[in-house]
Amino acid sequence: MISFPAKLKVGTYYIPHCLKFTTDTQEVDSMLKRKLGIIDLSKEKISIQDVSESLRKKLLGGRGMNMYYLWKMLPEGIDPLSPENLLIFGTGFLSGTLAPSSSRFNTSAISPETGFLGDTNCGGFFSAEMKYAGFDRLILKGKAKKPSYIYIEDGTIEIRDAKGYWGLNTLDVQKAFRKDLGQVEMVVCGVAGENLVRYACLRTGIKNAGGRTGMGCIMGSKNIKGVVAHGGMGIEIAHPEEMLKTVEELKDYLLSSKISPILGSVGTPLLYEVSNVLGGIRTKNSQLNAWNDNFNASEVEKFVEKMISCSSCFMHCRHRNTLGGEGPEYTALSLLGTNLGIEKLEDCIKMQNQVNDLGLDVSSTGTYLAWVTELYERGLIDDKLTGGIELKFNDYETYSKLIDMISRREGFGDILAEGQWSAGKLKDPKHDYLIEVKGLPQSDPHDVRYMKAFALGIATSSRGADHLRSRPTLEIFFKLPPEVRNKIYGAEIANDPATLDTKEHVVAWSENIFATIDCLGMCKFICHGFNSPHFVDYDWMKRLINTAVDWNYSDSEIREVGPRVLDIERLFNLSRGMTRAHDTLPKRYFDDPAPLRTAKGHHVDRKEFAKALDRFYEVRGWTNEGMVKKPRIEELEAIA
Amino acid sequence: MKYLFTYPEKCTGCRQCSIACALKKLGECNPKKGAINVLRDEFDRYELQFVCLQCEEPECVAVCMVKAITRGDDGIVRIDPEKCIGCRMCVIACPYGAITSFGGDIIKCDLCDGDPVCIKFCSTDALVYEEENEEILDRRKELAKLLLKKE
Repeated sequence: MISFPAKLKVGTYYIPHCLKFTTDTQEVDSMLKRKLGIIDLSKEKISIQDVSESLRKKLLGGRGMNMYYLWKMLPEGIDPLSPENLLIFGTGFLSGTLAPSSSRFNTSAISPETGFLGDTNCGGFFSAEMKYAGFDRLILKGKAKKPSYIYIEDGTIEIRDAKGYWGLNTLDVQKAFRKDLGQVEMVVCGVAGENLVRYACLRTGIKNAGGRTGMGCIMGSKNIKGVVAHGGMGIEIAHPEEMLKTVEELKDYLLSSKISPILGSVGTPLLYEVSNVLGGIRTKNSQLNAWNDNFNASEVEKFVEKMISCSSCFMHCRHRNTLGGEGPEYTALSLLGTNLGIEKLEDCIKMQNQVNDLGLDVSSTGTYLAWVTELYERGLIDDKLTGGIELKFNDYETYSKLIDMISRREGFGDILAEGQWSAGKLKDPKHDYLIEVKGLPQSDPHDVRYMKAFALGIATSSRGADHLRSRPTLEIFFKLPPEVRNKIYGAEIANDPATLDTKEHVVAWSENIFATIDCLGMCKFICHGFNSPHFVDYDWMKRLINTAVDWNYSDSEIREVGPRVLDIERLFNLSRGMTRAHDTLPKRYFDDPAPLRTAKGHHVDRKEFAKALDRFYEVRGWTNEGMVKKPRIEELEAIA
Repeated sequence: MKYLFTYPEKCTGCRQCSIACALKKLGECNPKKGAINVLRDEFDRYELQFVCLQCEEPECVAVCMVKAITRGDDGIVRIDPEKCIGCRMCVIACPYGAITSFGGDIIKCDLCDGDPVCIKFCSTDALVYEEENEEILDRRKELAKLLLKKE
């Protein structure tokens, strides 16, 4: 065991190899005093730093601060799997406090799945525990000489030997950590991460995932099994009574919404039926756009044992299922259900429990499996390549076997583990049949051919085809009065979901507020405009911040955070070779009209899309080529 | 007298009760310093609250050598921090594990003198503050429903 004393003293330390340091006192200080730990795994050097208040005021925490460090610290032109890549764990600004649903942290790097921005947002209990352990951000660089894990506790950081933990799946390794180390919270990778599957995810708890863009793969590439946190350092609040009052008021407001009891009893599966009726459910690799009713929330409910929460959350949208896991979420229902032509809900739940345990991203895994099934059916790949495995939709046994093979990189699974990079071998070099943007398979179940704001959103998202950057769910609320819609989005919005006209405002507005709430570490589930036209808006965010710290944070300050994050992400991507051409959609959404239900006949017109992209860039303040303008770059570079 | 009653089957494990408690009493957000604690384990699949039951004949009072713990006329069992020497005997003696010992502090629920802050932050009524008879009546009604359904 290597360990060193650094109890919240700022400085750089070379690790003395025989020193064991323990602490038995717990300190209390403000969230503004939480440290940044930079861990050089190759040199076994650790640096603990303070973070300036001016930087926090500009980007708060979570995703925003991660982007800042990634943009400033990551060298250009490196291989994502090389030791030069960084892996940044950043807690949300309000994580660990009474602020509702403030359980979230972001993990960021350059993505091994896309080669562009890698960033993932995750709930559970790790973020709060990391704060209680004295840190709000850890940056891992280099590569450990042998399998290791990071242990943080009350201001100390250790790099420990992962002997006995390496090789375990995500559930077993977490149980082992709990058995050996007590009531710790941890974020780990499974065997998929160890084996460098490009879409391996991070896991904390049974189902909470830092799923997207392959952050588990980066963890594996650094020889790190997990980050384990334990801490008792309370977060001192500037105005405790104000925070108690504000959160109580906010709780009553959140729980008085019609949607809250539904979210709290069935969780995200409530979205399935709404989307399915419209013809907005990705089915059989988007050859179809609707499926049967077996995946409706009322069916999912039959498998629910108990609804549970992440840290500090009133919504309790997580299901503990009767098949030994948690979930499924709406995403798993489709990506490991309808998209694979699965008929039985039970097969889908079993498959997502398996994917979760192995540490694979549900969205990517399901999309790649559907992709190769269609390629096989079209004769583009054959038994020789698959090693004799016959691929067909609704074949649970084969998919389950393949998922296992992917995580171990065995046979055909080794090819699939490369994700989009295997396109050449699969004779689909231009990804004509792969539902991806910027190399990232689409995250959510939504077939975007009808709801055009969704289409523009996944096309322009900074991490690839992803709904959690901008999902404009209000587009589904057909009964929302136009004046309410216009007020929310701050522009005259066309009332027709099938048009791209004016949707640039919808997407940009959503991107900004979602980025802000990601910085605060609060869940999008209670974000204004995500599931409800109500919920936590900029005013609530500002109020919560001003109870926690003595900043007198203003309305304009909170509104400037989101655009800043988006621009930094754009700059990061541009420096990695991204161009306007990458802001596009899967070929199928352009060229094949949706065949079923309300969406029937709808597709995205290429010319209309190009015009919408022009307008979107204008709203974002970018050039017609999607570049950030020079004065803005100078402004962002001056942030410190 | 009103007491805190817990329903583990309704507890979602969010810990807002503990965080609110520590925030009110100590000015810090720290679930480990709440007089109410939630033990949760997603792998063993449970969430369980621990909080002082305000016993009629408290073990903690009996074992306290410096008589720092007393049961008041209002039925609330309180620790006098001036007298407490931090020996943790009460923590050991409590049959329900309801007293928290953390970093040298002994933390025990005093029902916020009749206005417990924790219940205001429970979203599922897993924690209620009720007259004992009302609570018993509620449980009996639930039981009656179950029995009648069976017949």
